[in-house]
Amino acid sequence: MANLQHIRRRIKSVKNIQKITNAMDMIARSRFNAARDALLSNIPYVNKTKEIMRRVVSQMRGREYEHPFLKTRDELIAEQQNADGKFLFIVIASDKGLAGSFASNVFKEAHDTIEYDGTDTGTSMDDDGDDENFHKKNFDALNAVKPIAHRTQKQQRQMNATGGVARAAAHGGGSSSGANVSVAREYNDAAYIDGIEIITVGRKATTHFQQRGYNIIKSYHGISERPQYKYAKEIADLVMERYASGEIIDVTLIYTQFKSAISCVPDDVTLLPLVTDDYAKASANLKEEYIYEPDVMSILNEFLPRRLATRIYGAMLHSAASELSSRMNAMSNATDNAQELVGRLNLFYNKVRQAGITNEINEIVGGANALE
Amino acid sequence: MSTILLEVATPDKGEVFAKDINMLICRSIAGELGILPKHARLLTELVPNALRIKFDGSETLLFVSGGFMEVTPEKITILADSAEVPDDIDVERAKSAYKRAEDRITGFKNKGDTEIDIKRAEAALARAKARLLVKGVPIP
Repeated sequence: MANLQHIRRRIKSVKNIQKITNAMDMIARSRFNAARDALLSNIPYVNKTKEIMRRVVSQMRGREYEHPFLKTRDELIAEQQNADGKFLFIVIASDKGLAGSFASNVFKEAHDTIEYDGTDTGTSMDDDGDDENFHKKNFDALNAVKPIAHRTQKQQRQMNATGGVARAAAHGGGSSSGANVSVAREYNDAAYIDGIEIITVGRKATTHFQQRGYNIIKSYHGISERPQYKYAKEIADLVMERYASGEIIDVTLIYTQFKSAISCVPDDVTLLPLVTDDYAKASANLKEEYIYEPDVMSILNEFLPRRLATRIYGAMLHSAASELSSRMNAMSNATDNAQELVGRLNLFYNKVRQAGITNEINEIVGGANALE
Repeated sequence: MSTILLEVATPDKGEVFAKDINMLICRSIAGELGILPKHARLLTELVPNALRIKFDGSETLLFVSGGFMEVTPEKITILADSAEVPDDIDVERAKSAYKRAEDRITGFKNKGDTEIDIKRAEAALARAKARLLVKGVPIP
Protein backbone atom coordinates (compact mmCIF):
# COMPACT_ATOMS: atom_id res chain seq x y z
CA MET A 1 0.00 0.00 0.00
CA ALA A 2 1.25 3.48 -0.86
CA ASN A 3 2.57 5.40 2.06
CA LEU A 4 0.51 8.42 3.07
CA GLN A 5 3.58 10.43 3.86
CA HIS A 6 5.05 9.78 0.43
CA ILE A 7 1.92 10.99 -1.27
CA ARG A 8 1.85 14.08 0.90
CA ARG A 9 5.42 14.83 -0.02
CA ARG A 10 4.69 14.31 -3.68
CA ILE A 11 1.73 16.71 -3.55
CA LYS A 12 3.85 19.29 -1.85
CA SER A 13 6.62 19.08 -4.43
CA VAL A 14 4.16 19.31 -7.30
CA LYS A 15 2.62 22.36 -5.67
CA ASN A 16 6.06 23.93 -5.34
CA ILE A 17 6.80 23.33 -8.98
CA GLN A 18 3.45 24.82 -9.83
CA LYS A 19 4.36 27.94 -7.89
CA ILE A 20 7.56 28.26 -9.89
CA THR A 21 5.95 27.71 -13.27
CA ASN A 22 3.22 30.13 -12.34
CA ALA A 23 5.79 32.77 -11.41
CA MET A 24 7.67 32.17 -14.65
CA ASP A 25 4.44 32.49 -16.54
CA MET A 26 3.76 35.85 -14.99
CA ILE A 27 7.28 37.09 -15.58
CA ALA A 28 7.14 35.96 -19.20
CA ARG A 29 3.76 37.61 -19.55
CA SER A 30 4.92 41.03 -18.41
CA ARG A 31 8.11 40.81 -20.46
CA PHE A 32 6.11 39.64 -23.41
CA ASN A 33 3.93 42.74 -23.23
CA ALA A 34 7.03 44.91 -23.37
CA ALA A 35 8.50 42.86 -26.21
CA ARG A 36 5.26 42.98 -28.17
CA ASP A 37 5.02 46.73 -27.79
CA ALA A 38 8.60 47.10 -28.97
CA LEU A 39 7.86 44.87 -31.93
CA LEU A 40 4.63 46.58 -32.86
CA SER A 41 6.24 49.99 -32.89
CA ASN A 42 9.08 48.66 -35.02
CA ILE A 43 6.92 46.97 -37.63
CA PRO A 44 5.85 50.11 -39.57
CA TYR A 45 9.46 51.19 -39.92
CA VAL A 46 10.65 47.79 -41.12
CA ASN A 47 7.76 47.45 -43.56
CA LYS A 48 8.31 50.89 -45.00
CA THR A 49 12.02 50.23 -45.39
CA LYS A 50 11.15 47.01 -47.15
CA GLU A 51 8.67 48.72 -49.47
CA ILE A 52 11.13 51.40 -50.41
CA MET A 53 13.86 48.89 -50.97
CA ARG A 54 11.58 46.79 -53.10
CA ARG A 55 10.68 49.74 -55.29
CA VAL A 56 14.24 50.95 -55.57
CA VAL A 57 15.79 47.56 -56.18
CA SER A 58 13.18 46.54 -58.73
CA GLN A 59 14.14 49.64 -60.62
CA MET A 60 17.74 48.58 -60.63
CA ARG A 61 16.93 45.70 -62.93
CA GLY A 62 18.64 45.93 -66.23
CA ARG A 63 20.55 48.99 -65.23
CA GLU A 64 24.19 49.17 -64.54
CA TYR A 65 24.43 50.40 -61.02
CA GLU A 66 27.11 48.15 -59.77
CA HIS A 67 26.51 48.06 -56.10
CA PRO A 68 28.16 45.04 -54.48
CA PHE A 69 24.98 44.16 -52.57
CA LEU A 70 22.82 44.01 -55.69
CA LYS A 71 23.11 41.21 -58.18
CA THR A 72 21.08 39.69 -60.94
CA ARG A 73 20.66 35.95 -60.68
CA ASP A 74 22.94 35.42 -63.69
CA GLU A 75 25.66 37.43 -62.06
CA LEU A 76 25.17 35.55 -58.86
CA ILE A 77 25.48 32.20 -60.56
CA ALA A 78 28.48 33.25 -62.58
CA GLU A 79 30.13 34.42 -59.42
CA GLN A 80 29.25 31.60 -57.09
CA GLN A 81 30.24 28.92 -59.58
CA ASN A 82 33.85 29.74 -59.11
CA ALA A 83 34.01 31.84 -56.00
CA ASP A 84 35.39 30.25 -52.93
CA GLY A 85 33.61 32.36 -50.38
CA LYS A 86 31.67 30.93 -47.49
CA PHE A 87 28.01 30.87 -46.65
CA LEU A 88 27.10 32.78 -43.52
CA PHE A 89 24.05 32.06 -41.44
CA ILE A 90 22.77 34.20 -38.61
CA VAL A 91 20.66 32.17 -36.22
CA ILE A 92 18.56 33.97 -33.65
CA ALA A 93 17.23 31.84 -30.80
CA SER A 94 16.97 32.22 -27.03
CA ASP A 95 19.30 32.30 -24.05
CA LYS A 96 17.11 30.15 -21.87
CA GLY A 97 15.04 27.05 -22.37
CA LEU A 98 11.65 26.31 -20.85
CA ALA A 99 9.94 27.87 -23.82
CA GLY A 100 8.40 24.82 -25.36
CA SER A 101 9.70 23.97 -28.79
CA PHE A 102 10.76 27.53 -29.53
CA ALA A 103 14.48 26.90 -29.88
CA SER A 104 14.23 23.52 -31.55
CA ASN A 105 11.89 24.94 -34.18
CA VAL A 106 14.48 27.54 -35.04
CA PHE A 107 17.19 24.90 -35.25
CA LYS A 108 15.06 22.72 -37.44
CA GLU A 109 14.55 25.61 -39.83
CA ALA A 110 18.25 26.40 -39.63
CA HIS A 111 19.26 22.87 -40.56
CA ASP A 112 16.66 22.87 -43.29
CA THR A 113 18.24 25.94 -44.77
CA ILE A 114 21.89 25.25 -44.09
CA GLU A 115 21.82 21.66 -45.32
CA TYR A 116 19.50 22.35 -48.22
CA ASP A 117 20.56 20.22 -51.16
CA GLY A 118 17.93 20.92 -53.76
CA THR A 119 15.15 18.71 -52.48
CA ASP A 120 12.77 20.40 -50.17
CA THR A 121 11.62 18.23 -47.32
CA GLY A 122 8.60 20.38 -46.87
CA THR A 123 9.14 20.94 -43.18
CA SER A 124 9.82 24.59 -43.69
CA MET A 125 6.84 26.85 -43.54
CA ASP A 126 8.41 29.98 -44.83
CA ASP A 127 7.03 30.11 -48.33
CA ASP A 128 4.79 32.97 -47.48
CA GLY A 129 5.17 34.62 -50.84
CA ASP A 130 7.41 37.43 -49.68
CA ASP A 131 10.41 37.86 -51.86
CA GLU A 132 13.00 37.44 -49.21
CA ASN A 133 13.78 33.75 -49.18
CA PHE A 134 16.36 33.42 -51.87
CA HIS A 135 18.71 30.97 -50.32
CA LYS A 136 16.95 27.94 -51.72
CA LYS A 137 16.15 29.68 -54.98
CA ASN A 138 19.78 30.62 -55.42
CA PHE A 139 20.81 27.09 -54.70
CA ASP A 140 18.32 25.69 -57.19
CA ALA A 141 19.44 28.14 -59.84
CA LEU A 142 23.02 27.13 -59.30
CA ASN A 143 21.97 23.51 -59.42
CA ALA A 144 20.17 23.95 -62.72
CA VAL A 145 23.21 25.41 -64.36
CA LYS A 146 25.63 22.87 -63.03
CA PRO A 147 24.04 19.44 -63.14
CA ILE A 148 25.04 16.82 -60.63
CA ALA A 149 27.98 15.50 -62.62
CA HIS A 150 29.69 18.87 -62.71
CA ARG A 151 28.82 20.33 -59.40
CA THR A 152 30.80 23.16 -58.03
CA GLN A 153 33.17 22.22 -55.31
CA LYS A 154 30.95 23.80 -52.75
CA GLN A 155 27.84 22.03 -53.89
CA GLN A 156 29.69 18.76 -53.93
CA ARG A 157 30.78 19.36 -50.38
CA GLN A 158 27.32 20.28 -49.38
CA MET A 159 25.96 17.19 -51.07
CA ASN A 160 28.55 14.94 -49.52
CA ALA A 161 27.99 16.31 -46.12
CA THR A 162 24.26 16.15 -46.23
CA GLY A 163 23.46 12.78 -47.70
CA GLY A 164 19.86 11.73 -47.35
CA VAL A 165 20.47 9.96 -44.07
CA ALA A 166 21.99 12.90 -42.37
CA ARG A 167 19.29 15.19 -43.55
CA ALA A 168 16.56 12.88 -42.39
CA ALA A 169 18.24 12.63 -39.04
CA ALA A 170 18.71 16.33 -38.70
CA HIS A 171 15.19 17.15 -39.72
CA GLY A 172 13.17 14.27 -38.40
CA GLY A 173 15.17 13.32 -35.36
CA GLY A 174 14.25 16.28 -33.23
CA SER A 175 17.31 18.43 -33.31
CA SER A 176 17.52 19.37 -29.67
CA SER A 177 16.90 16.18 -27.81
CA GLY A 178 17.38 12.46 -27.64
CA ALA A 179 18.91 11.12 -30.81
CA ASN A 180 21.31 13.94 -31.39
CA VAL A 181 22.77 13.33 -34.76
CA SER A 182 25.66 15.56 -35.38
CA VAL A 183 25.34 16.11 -39.07
CA ALA A 184 28.61 17.88 -39.43
CA ARG A 185 30.64 15.68 -37.15
CA GLU A 186 29.21 12.38 -38.24
CA TYR A 187 30.14 13.01 -41.81
CA ASN A 188 33.37 14.48 -40.65
CA ASP A 189 33.63 16.61 -43.72
CA ALA A 190 36.07 19.34 -42.91
CA ALA A 191 35.61 21.02 -46.27
CA TYR A 192 31.87 21.29 -45.77
CA ILE A 193 32.23 22.75 -42.33
CA ASP A 194 34.78 25.18 -43.64
CA GLY A 195 32.28 26.44 -46.16
CA ILE A 196 29.83 27.53 -43.48
CA GLU A 197 30.00 30.20 -40.86
CA ILE A 198 27.43 30.92 -38.22
CA ILE A 199 26.66 33.91 -36.06
CA THR A 200 24.48 32.97 -33.12
CA VAL A 201 22.26 35.07 -30.95
CA GLY A 202 21.27 33.30 -27.75
CA ARG A 203 23.09 30.76 -25.65
CA LYS A 204 20.85 27.91 -26.85
CA ALA A 205 21.85 28.48 -30.45
CA THR A 206 25.52 28.64 -29.56
CA THR A 207 25.55 25.33 -27.71
CA HIS A 208 23.45 23.65 -30.38
CA PHE A 209 25.78 24.52 -33.23
CA GLN A 210 28.92 24.12 -31.19
CA GLN A 211 27.98 20.54 -30.34
CA ARG A 212 27.50 19.85 -33.99
CA GLY A 213 30.91 21.14 -34.87
CA TYR A 214 29.91 24.20 -36.85
CA ASN A 215 32.17 27.16 -37.15
CA ILE A 216 30.69 29.93 -35.03
CA ILE A 217 32.41 33.19 -35.76
CA LYS A 218 30.56 35.26 -33.21
CA SER A 219 27.89 34.77 -30.61
CA TYR A 220 25.75 37.19 -28.69
CA HIS A 221 24.42 36.22 -25.29
CA GLY A 222 22.11 38.03 -22.92
CA ILE A 223 20.52 40.20 -25.58
CA SER A 224 17.82 37.97 -27.00
CA GLU A 225 15.03 38.97 -24.63
CA ARG A 226 15.59 42.70 -24.88
CA PRO A 227 17.23 43.38 -28.22
CA GLN A 228 18.97 46.65 -28.84
CA TYR A 229 19.64 48.31 -32.14
CA LYS A 230 23.34 48.65 -31.45
CA TYR A 231 23.81 44.87 -31.47
CA ALA A 232 21.95 44.56 -34.76
CA LYS A 233 24.21 47.28 -36.10
CA GLU A 234 27.25 45.42 -34.83
CA ILE A 235 26.17 42.22 -36.58
CA ALA A 236 25.37 44.13 -39.77
CA ASP A 237 28.78 45.79 -39.73
CA LEU A 238 30.54 42.49 -39.21
CA VAL A 239 28.56 40.88 -42.02
CA MET A 240 29.20 43.71 -44.43
CA GLU A 241 32.89 43.75 -43.66
CA ARG A 242 33.25 40.04 -44.38
CA TYR A 243 31.05 40.30 -47.43
CA ALA A 244 33.06 43.18 -48.81
CA SER A 245 36.30 41.30 -48.35
CA GLY A 246 34.87 38.36 -50.29
CA GLU A 247 35.17 35.93 -47.39
CA ILE A 248 31.47 35.27 -47.51
CA ILE A 249 29.23 35.29 -50.56
CA ASP A 250 25.80 34.63 -49.11
CA VAL A 251 24.19 35.73 -45.87
CA THR A 252 21.00 34.17 -44.55
CA LEU A 253 19.15 35.12 -41.40
CA ILE A 254 17.11 32.54 -39.52
CA TYR A 255 14.73 33.72 -36.83
CA THR A 256 11.23 33.18 -35.54
CA GLN A 257 8.56 35.36 -36.95
CA PHE A 258 5.97 36.46 -34.46
CA LYS A 259 2.54 36.22 -36.04
CA SER A 260 0.35 36.15 -32.98
CA ALA A 261 0.59 35.00 -29.38
CA ILE A 262 -0.23 31.46 -30.44
CA SER A 263 1.55 31.34 -33.78
CA CYS A 264 5.27 31.84 -34.15
CA VAL A 265 6.83 30.58 -37.35
CA PRO A 266 10.52 30.14 -38.08
CA ASP A 267 11.58 32.05 -41.16
CA ASP A 268 14.69 32.37 -43.27
CA VAL A 269 15.65 35.57 -45.00
CA THR A 270 18.45 36.23 -47.43
CA LEU A 271 20.23 39.39 -46.39
CA LEU A 272 22.99 39.47 -48.99
CA PRO A 273 23.25 39.60 -51.90
CA LEU A 274 19.95 41.06 -52.98
CA VAL A 275 18.88 39.36 -56.17
CA THR A 276 17.16 41.91 -58.35
CA ASP A 277 15.28 39.28 -60.37
CA ASP A 278 13.21 38.46 -57.32
CA TYR A 279 11.88 41.95 -57.11
CA ALA A 280 10.17 41.64 -60.45
CA LYS A 281 6.66 41.65 -59.00
CA ALA A 282 6.97 45.07 -57.50
CA SER A 283 8.31 46.67 -60.64
CA ALA A 284 5.38 45.71 -62.86
CA ASN A 285 3.60 49.00 -62.36
CA LEU A 286 6.62 51.16 -61.94
CA LYS A 287 7.70 53.06 -64.99
CA GLU A 288 9.12 56.29 -63.71
CA GLU A 289 12.63 56.53 -62.49
CA TYR A 290 13.63 57.89 -59.13
CA ILE A 291 15.53 61.06 -58.64
CA TYR A 292 18.39 60.35 -56.31
CA GLU A 293 19.67 63.21 -54.28
CA PRO A 294 22.69 63.61 -54.44
CA ASP A 295 23.27 60.43 -56.53
CA VAL A 296 22.42 56.74 -56.70
CA MET A 297 25.59 55.32 -55.28
CA SER A 298 25.79 57.48 -52.21
CA ILE A 299 22.14 56.84 -51.41
CA LEU A 300 22.50 53.10 -51.87
CA ASN A 301 25.68 53.09 -49.83
CA GLU A 302 23.77 54.57 -46.95
CA PHE A 303 20.43 52.94 -47.45
CA LEU A 304 21.34 49.28 -47.96
CA PRO A 305 23.48 48.96 -44.82
CA ARG A 306 20.70 50.65 -42.89
CA ARG A 307 18.20 48.22 -44.32
CA LEU A 308 20.42 45.33 -43.29
CA ALA A 309 20.70 46.49 -39.69
CA THR A 310 16.99 47.29 -39.57
CA ARG A 311 16.14 43.84 -40.84
CA ILE A 312 18.33 42.17 -38.23
CA TYR A 313 16.92 44.37 -35.48
CA GLY A 314 13.38 43.61 -36.61
CA ALA A 315 14.17 39.90 -36.61
CA MET A 316 15.55 40.17 -33.08
CA LEU A 317 12.37 41.84 -31.90
CA HIS A 318 10.27 39.19 -33.62
CA SER A 319 12.35 36.51 -31.99
CA ALA A 320 12.10 38.08 -28.53
CA ALA A 321 8.33 38.35 -28.73
CA SER A 322 8.11 34.77 -30.02
CA GLU A 323 10.39 33.45 -27.30
CA LEU A 324 8.41 35.10 -24.53
CA SER A 325 5.06 34.08 -25.93
CA SER A 326 6.30 30.49 -26.31
CA ARG A 327 7.51 30.56 -22.73
CA MET A 328 4.22 32.01 -21.61
CA ASN A 329 2.33 29.20 -23.32
CA ALA A 330 4.70 26.53 -22.06
CA MET A 331 4.53 27.80 -18.48
CA SER A 332 0.80 28.23 -18.35
CA ASN A 333 0.43 24.70 -19.71
CA ALA A 334 2.84 23.48 -17.05
CA THR A 335 0.84 25.25 -14.35
CA ASP A 336 -2.39 23.70 -15.61
CA ASN A 337 -0.81 20.27 -15.71
CA ALA A 338 0.48 20.68 -12.18
CA GLN A 339 -2.99 21.65 -11.04
CA GLU A 340 -4.44 18.53 -12.62
CA LEU A 341 -1.73 16.37 -11.11
CA VAL A 342 -2.36 17.81 -7.65
CA GLY A 343 -6.04 17.02 -8.07
CA ARG A 344 -5.36 13.43 -9.00
CA LEU A 345 -2.85 12.99 -6.20
CA ASN A 346 -5.31 14.43 -3.71
CA LEU A 347 -7.93 11.94 -4.81
CA PHE A 348 -5.42 9.12 -4.52
CA TYR A 349 -4.31 10.39 -1.11
CA ASN A 350 -7.89 10.41 0.17
CA LYS A 351 -8.53 6.95 -1.20
CA VAL A 352 -5.46 5.61 0.53
CA ARG A 353 -6.37 7.36 3.77
CA GLN A 354 -9.90 6.00 3.59
CA ALA A 355 -8.60 2.50 2.86
CA GLY A 356 -6.41 2.78 5.94
CA ILE A 357 -9.32 3.79 8.13
CA THR A 358 -11.51 1.01 6.75
CA ASN A 359 -8.76 -1.46 7.46
CA GLU A 360 -8.40 -0.31 11.03
CA ILE A 361 -12.13 -0.56 11.62
CA ASN A 362 -12.10 -4.07 10.12
CA GLU A 363 -9.29 -5.02 12.43
CA ILE A 364 -11.11 -3.65 15.48
CA VAL A 365 -14.33 -5.39 14.50
CA GLY A 366 -12.43 -8.57 13.76
CA GLY A 367 -10.66 -8.37 17.12
CA ALA A 368 -13.93 -7.76 18.97
CA ASN A 369 -15.56 -10.71 17.19
CA ALA A 370 -12.65 -12.96 18.13
CA LEU A 371 -13.10 -12.09 21.81
CA GLU A 372 -16.75 -13.14 21.88
CA MET B 1 -5.85 72.65 -52.04
CA SER B 2 -4.32 69.34 -53.03
CA THR B 3 -2.68 67.21 -50.41
CA ILE B 4 -0.04 64.53 -50.08
CA LEU B 5 0.23 61.89 -47.40
CA LEU B 6 3.20 62.24 -45.10
CA GLU B 7 4.30 59.31 -42.96
CA VAL B 8 7.16 59.51 -40.50
CA ALA B 9 8.26 56.21 -38.95
CA THR B 10 11.01 55.47 -36.45
CA PRO B 11 12.50 52.14 -35.35
CA ASP B 12 11.26 52.33 -31.77
CA LYS B 13 8.19 54.55 -31.76
CA GLY B 14 6.36 53.32 -34.80
CA GLU B 15 4.51 55.86 -36.86
CA VAL B 16 5.13 59.25 -35.33
CA PHE B 17 3.27 61.26 -37.90
CA ALA B 18 0.72 60.32 -40.56
CA LYS B 19 -1.42 63.04 -42.11
CA ASP B 20 -2.41 64.56 -45.42
CA ILE B 21 -0.39 67.72 -45.77
CA ASN B 22 -0.01 70.54 -48.26
CA MET B 23 3.73 71.02 -48.21
CA LEU B 24 6.85 69.69 -46.56
CA ILE B 25 10.12 71.54 -46.19
CA CYS B 26 13.07 69.45 -45.12
CA ARG B 27 16.83 69.40 -45.37
CA SER B 28 18.61 66.61 -47.22
CA ILE B 29 22.35 66.06 -47.40
CA ALA B 30 22.23 67.89 -50.72
CA GLY B 31 20.35 70.91 -49.41
CA GLU B 32 16.92 72.26 -48.52
CA LEU B 33 13.96 70.67 -50.30
CA GLY B 34 10.33 71.71 -50.59
CA ILE B 35 7.94 68.91 -51.47
CA LEU B 36 4.49 69.62 -52.90
CA PRO B 37 1.82 67.11 -53.93
CA LYS B 38 2.51 65.22 -57.18
CA HIS B 39 6.23 65.52 -56.75
CA ALA B 40 8.41 63.24 -58.90
CA ARG B 41 9.79 60.07 -57.35
CA LEU B 42 12.73 60.90 -55.16
CA LEU B 43 14.95 59.15 -52.69
CA THR B 44 17.30 61.06 -50.48
CA GLU B 45 19.01 61.12 -47.12
CA LEU B 46 18.04 63.67 -44.49
CA VAL B 47 20.25 65.48 -42.02
CA PRO B 48 19.15 66.26 -38.43
CA ASN B 49 16.81 69.19 -38.72
CA ALA B 50 13.32 70.48 -38.16
CA LEU B 51 10.75 69.35 -40.71
CA ARG B 52 8.37 72.15 -41.60
CA ILE B 53 4.99 70.64 -42.30
CA LYS B 54 2.27 72.83 -43.76
CA PHE B 55 -1.33 71.80 -43.64
CA ASP B 56 -4.71 73.47 -43.00
CA GLY B 57 -3.08 76.86 -43.43
CA SER B 58 -0.74 76.39 -40.48
CA GLU B 59 2.77 75.13 -40.01
CA THR B 60 3.96 72.39 -37.65
CA LEU B 61 7.53 71.58 -36.78
CA LEU B 62 8.82 68.06 -36.29
CA PHE B 63 12.30 67.09 -35.22
CA VAL B 64 14.06 64.34 -37.18
CA SER B 65 17.54 63.11 -36.40
CA GLY B 66 18.43 62.12 -39.93
CA GLY B 67 17.19 59.21 -41.99
CA PHE B 68 15.79 58.64 -45.43
CA MET B 69 12.97 60.18 -47.38
CA GLU B 70 11.14 58.59 -50.26
CA VAL B 71 8.77 60.70 -52.28
CA THR B 72 6.17 59.34 -54.66
CA PRO B 73 3.45 61.47 -56.28
CA GLU B 74 0.93 60.40 -53.60
CA LYS B 75 3.03 59.81 -50.54
CA ILE B 76 6.10 60.96 -48.66
CA THR B 77 7.70 58.35 -46.43
CA ILE B 78 10.33 59.42 -43.94
CA LEU B 79 12.36 56.76 -42.18
CA ALA B 80 13.92 58.63 -39.31
CA ASP B 81 16.33 57.36 -36.69
CA SER B 82 14.19 59.27 -34.26
CA ALA B 83 11.48 61.87 -34.61
CA GLU B 84 9.91 64.05 -31.95
CA VAL B 85 7.01 66.46 -31.80
CA PRO B 86 7.78 69.71 -29.94
CA ASP B 87 5.98 68.52 -26.79
CA ASP B 88 8.29 65.53 -26.44
CA ILE B 89 11.49 67.52 -26.56
CA ASP B 90 13.40 68.09 -23.35
CA VAL B 91 14.89 71.57 -23.72
CA GLU B 92 17.32 71.27 -20.83
CA ARG B 93 18.66 68.01 -22.14
CA ALA B 94 19.08 69.41 -25.63
CA LYS B 95 20.84 72.45 -24.23
CA SER B 96 23.28 70.41 -22.20
CA ALA B 97 23.86 68.09 -25.15
CA TYR B 98 24.58 71.15 -27.26
CA LYS B 99 27.08 72.43 -24.74
CA ARG B 100 28.77 69.06 -24.34
CA ALA B 101 29.15 68.63 -28.08
CA GLU B 102 30.48 72.14 -28.48
CA ASP B 103 33.04 71.63 -25.73
CA ARG B 104 34.12 68.42 -27.39
CA ILE B 105 34.65 70.14 -30.69
CA THR B 106 36.56 73.10 -29.30
CA GLY B 107 38.53 70.72 -27.11
CA PHE B 108 39.43 68.72 -30.20
CA LYS B 109 40.91 71.72 -31.83
CA ASN B 110 43.06 72.32 -28.78
CA LYS B 111 44.29 68.93 -27.65
CA GLY B 112 43.24 66.46 -30.33
CA ASP B 113 40.55 63.80 -29.98
CA THR B 114 40.16 61.03 -32.52
CA GLU B 115 38.47 61.57 -35.84
CA ILE B 116 35.47 59.45 -34.85
CA ASP B 117 34.88 61.32 -31.59
CA ILE B 118 34.71 64.58 -33.42
CA LYS B 119 32.33 63.24 -36.04
CA ARG B 120 30.09 61.94 -33.31
CA ALA B 121 30.19 65.28 -31.51
CA GLU B 122 29.31 67.10 -34.72
CA ALA B 123 26.32 64.83 -35.25
CA ALA B 124 25.23 65.37 -31.62
CA LEU B 125 25.58 69.10 -32.10
CA ALA B 126 23.43 69.02 -35.21
CA ARG B 127 20.76 67.01 -33.39
CA ALA B 128 20.74 69.34 -30.38
CA LYS B 129 20.52 72.35 -32.66
CA ALA B 130 17.60 70.87 -34.56
CA ARG B 131 15.79 70.02 -31.32
CA LEU B 132 16.16 73.56 -30.04
CA LEU B 133 15.03 74.88 -33.40
CA VAL B 134 11.84 72.83 -33.26
CA LYS B 135 11.19 74.02 -29.74
CA GLY B 136 11.75 77.62 -30.80
CA VAL B 137 14.46 78.13 -28.19
CA PRO B 138 17.24 80.49 -29.22
CA ILE B 139 20.49 78.64 -29.73
CA PRO B 140 23.04 79.63 -27.09
